[in-house]
Amino acid sequence: MLSPINVSIESLNLMTLAPMLIPIVGALLILVIDLFKSGQDKSMYVMLSLLILGIDFIFLLEAAGIFEKNGTVMGVFDVMLIDGLAILSQFIIVSASMLFIPLALTQKRFHEFSYPEFFALFLFMIAGFQFMVATDNLILIFVGLETASLALYTLIAMHNRDKSFEAAVKYFTMGALAAGFYSFGSMVFYALTGSIEINQIAAVLEANNFADIGFVLIGVVFMLASFGFKLSMVPFHTWTPDVYEGSSAALAGYMSIVPKIAAFVVAMRLFEFLIHSGVVWLEVILYIGVVVTMTMANIWALVQSDVKRMLAYSSISHAGFVMAAILIGTTQSNSALFLYWILFSFTNLGSFSMLWISRQKNLPAGQSSDHSYNKFAGLVKTSPVAASIMALFMLSLAGLPPFALFWGKMYMISSAVTGGYTVLALIMALNSAIAGYYYLKLIVYMFMKDPIINHSGNISMVNATLSLKTIIGIAAVGTIFAVLALNSLLEFVTAFVYNSGY
Amino acid sequence: MLDNILSILIFFPALAAVLGFIVNKESIRAYGVVVAIIEFSLALLLWFFFDNNVSGMQFMETIALVPTFGINYIVGVDGISLFIVILAAFFTMIGIASLGDTKDIKNMIITLLFLQMTMVGVFVALDAIVFYVFWELSLVPMLYIIGAWGGPLRIYASVKFFLYTFTGSLVMLVGMLFMAYFYYQATGQWSFAILDWYRLILPESFQLWLFVAFFFGFAIKVPMFPFHTWLPYAHGQAPTIGSVILAAILLKMGTYAFIRFSLPLFPDASTYFMFPIAILAIIMIIYTAMVAYAQKDIKQVVAYSSVSHMGVIILGTFALNVEGISGSIFLMIAHGVVSGALFFLVGVIYDRRHTKMMDQFGGLASVMPKFATIFGIMMMASVGLPLTINFVGEFLSLLGFYQQSHILTLLAGMAIIVGAIYMLSAYKKMFFGEVTIEENKNLPDVNKRELIALVPLVIITIWLGIYPKPLLGPINTSVEAVVQLMHEKSITEEAKQRIPNLDILINRTSAKEAN
Repeated sequence: MLSPINVSIESLNLMTLAPMLIPIVGALLILVIDLFKSGQDKSMYVMLSLLILGIDFIFLLEAAGIFEKNGTVMGVFDVMLIDGLAILSQFIIVSASMLFIPLALTQKRFHEFSYPEFFALFLFMIAGFQFMVATDNLILIFVGLETASLALYTLIAMHNRDKSFEAAVKYFTMGALAAGFYSFGSMVFYALTGSIEINQIAAVLEANNFADIGFVLIGVVFMLASFGFKLSMVPFHTWTPDVYEGSSAALAGYMSIVPKIAAFVVAMRLFEFLIHSGVVWLEVILYIGVVVTMTMANIWALVQSDVKRMLAYSSISHAGFVMAAILIGTTQSNSALFLYWILFSFTNLGSFSMLWISRQKNLPAGQSSDHSYNKFAGLVKTSPVAASIMALFMLSLAGLPPFALFWGKMYMISSAVTGGYTVLALIMALNSAIAGYYYLKLIVYMFMKDPIINHSGNISMVNATLSLKTIIGIAAVGTIFAVLALNSLLEFVTAFVYNSGY
Repeated sequence: MLDNILSILIFFPALAAVLGFIVNKESIRAYGVVVAIIEFSLALLLWFFFDNNVSGMQFMETIALVPTFGINYIVGVDGISLFIVILAAFFTMIGIASLGDTKDIKNMIITLLFLQMTMVGVFVALDAIVFYVFWELSLVPMLYIIGAWGGPLRIYASVKFFLYTFTGSLVMLVGMLFMAYFYYQATGQWSFAILDWYRLILPESFQLWLFVAFFFGFAIKVPMFPFHTWLPYAHGQAPTIGSVILAAILLKMGTYAFIRFSLPLFPDASTYFMFPIAILAIIMIIYTAMVAYAQKDIKQVVAYSSVSHMGVIILGTFALNVEGISGSIFLMIAHGVVSGALFFLVGVIYDRRHTKMMDQFGGLASVMPKFATIFGIMMMASVGLPLTINFVGEFLSLLGFYQQSHILTLLAGMAIIVGAIYMLSAYKKMFFGEVTIEENKNLPDVNKRELIALVPLVIITIWLGIYPKPLLGPINTSVEAVVQLMHEKSITEEAKQRIPNLDILINRTSAKEAN
């Protein structure tokens, strides 16, 4: 006869679930509101989401306080793992989401924002990402990943254009393949070690001294492929430009930041111990992956004629650059990853928002895409402020000091130098130089060419409202004055990463 | 107030530029001139309070930026950088004052003021990262000046200028990060402060690699021989003011950085690479002089002659002794004055005829006598006539290198003769003979606005040619300290021998700070 299992509620540490539950409850709330009184304006939902995310943020602050005092907290049968990485990445996820959601308040009316489901799905997605980073249980990671991805596919499709459907379906197919790879990889690790917790897997593998190295490598290959899709590493990147092109500029900017930081954290948890265990093969594969991702994406970006596609390739390249941190695997490099991504999220969200405010409702005649370079030609003559801000973001992405991303780049290259990867450091530096060209191309179009298309009025700000301008203002200020916040940011990130044992 | 004078010098133009957005288009020129005059007066004030007997840094300021990673805002000035800062303020001033009718003049003046911030910043920064920030930032205004106001190929030229320099500096950045890492290994603390780095003695093999990394950044900026291809395009396409600032100040960043970074940080590597670099410099002098002779465009002649003279500066720098380095610093100032003036003069004639082809001119001496006189003086200075400013610098640079190698110095000296050939023949083509082309017969002579720029330059050229001591004194004091530091730091026999021991106690702090 089975004896009843006695679990005290306190040992479950349910508070660890709070940051994830808040967006879920919020999403349900939004659905309930729609049930009772449908047809509310989008501004209400935007502000509601913002409030819910704000509460989420406060709970994260509290979790950060607990982490600083007591170190890592486990909860819910040790499934939840609230360590420094989880907290840092959740901070990035939630604050990027808070910057993103006001972008729905556009001048023009877009299809997707009229549905409350958009906001509900959005909040579900955030909860999914939060679960993904706050555990080292392979199953919970999978659940979080799929929750978030399925919601994201729908968000893309809701943009309601032919290209959006194409993008959503493409993303869905690729995502399904990645999920398959992921589950197969987890299966291999489970078969090898009898555990689905990453730290257990690491312990067992180290205990038997990587006896079944062949199977480990098979598992690693599947995992790498799966995260390759999620992080859009070359050669798994093919979906990225099409999906970015199909989704709205705001969502594309969001996709270039939040899903990736979640995937980075999981990759860090999974690959870090494998690299440190001296699996040379993995190191070589990662090295090649990082270099090829950076370089090829940069070269493809050079030949794009659409700014959004260029930015898509550029964010692939940035992801490759940051992936180097996982290869290097020191505390400095892992801190550099978070530092880079925080600074990157400001800059990249800003530049995608600049595309978003110039978005017309329908494609004007004579334009093959929404954001061709030609559209920006001579922008400095028609609206100098918009041109200057866009140039600012481009210079920051190119890594020109003293703008935000330079400091991330510098710290990352420094971590490569410190970690003994001299050649990698040089490759990273030279890749920044290649990238300089395509960012410069947009500046050249804006500042040095004459307007090509006859605009009726001011097209660069056609979609702008006060809230969009505020978001861009925040991003611009963050980009310019990043250096002032850098020291505290660096200390904060390093302390959290170091205390989590990475 | 003087405690913060360097920060004021850096950020005053930037602040003025930001406020300049509000100033009305009609008044922007006056605004720009006044700002530039204030800036120049501040620079003169700096000179006035500068203690000539101190070899180390003066007016130092330190503000912590990212102490965790050793990045601090440190600025200071010594005899090496002082006069380049003044030169930068001076050229911005006369540049804005003599600006002709330009489209979008408001944008131009605001850009020039931003450019001035970065120029001053580069020369007074004493933290490698702060230096790098200003170094890179200076590319942006120049990119805009060339790209927006340049000639038909302006976009190609500006992008080439940007990417070339950007690539080189990224390699340099890796070198800086390595240097900081070595400092971290040696002391357990991150630091990017140059004065901290000076105390670090590195093994020779490290020095060689780091020297090469820094060399890429600096050599592209100078530009040295195999990396010089961006410069003729940039000069060819840039508007007059762009060429003037580029030749007078921006190129000096490279040669200045050699003296600030490469020599004292890597004395053994500097000795090791002395002859390869000297040979590159001599190729640069002779080759570009010959290319200059083949040009049909007067601006290209001046551009190539400017590259050629930069070769002499490099040669003097890598003489690794006091005469050579002092000479090269003096020549930086001289080159700035003279080639800046020559680009002004080319701009004067281009404004009138909208061509720079020499075969379109001829006999201008009778039409524009004042113009011909000033051009003649500047050309003679460029050739290196005694009693002009260039002569002092060239002579000292060559004298310095003569102590290292007689033959190479002789070759470099020959090149100066080639310089005389192309300059004189260009002068002959433009100014002597009959006026053959109808349009040239009624050209107006230089007007008042142009004289504002040119007359001071002529005065400086002759004054400092006759009496260079006000500049050479402070330069010498600081250079002696650098050479002594190099001698003490060097570890190989070869370097100890090549770099003279001056047996002086380096007075590193100013008298004021000692109190």
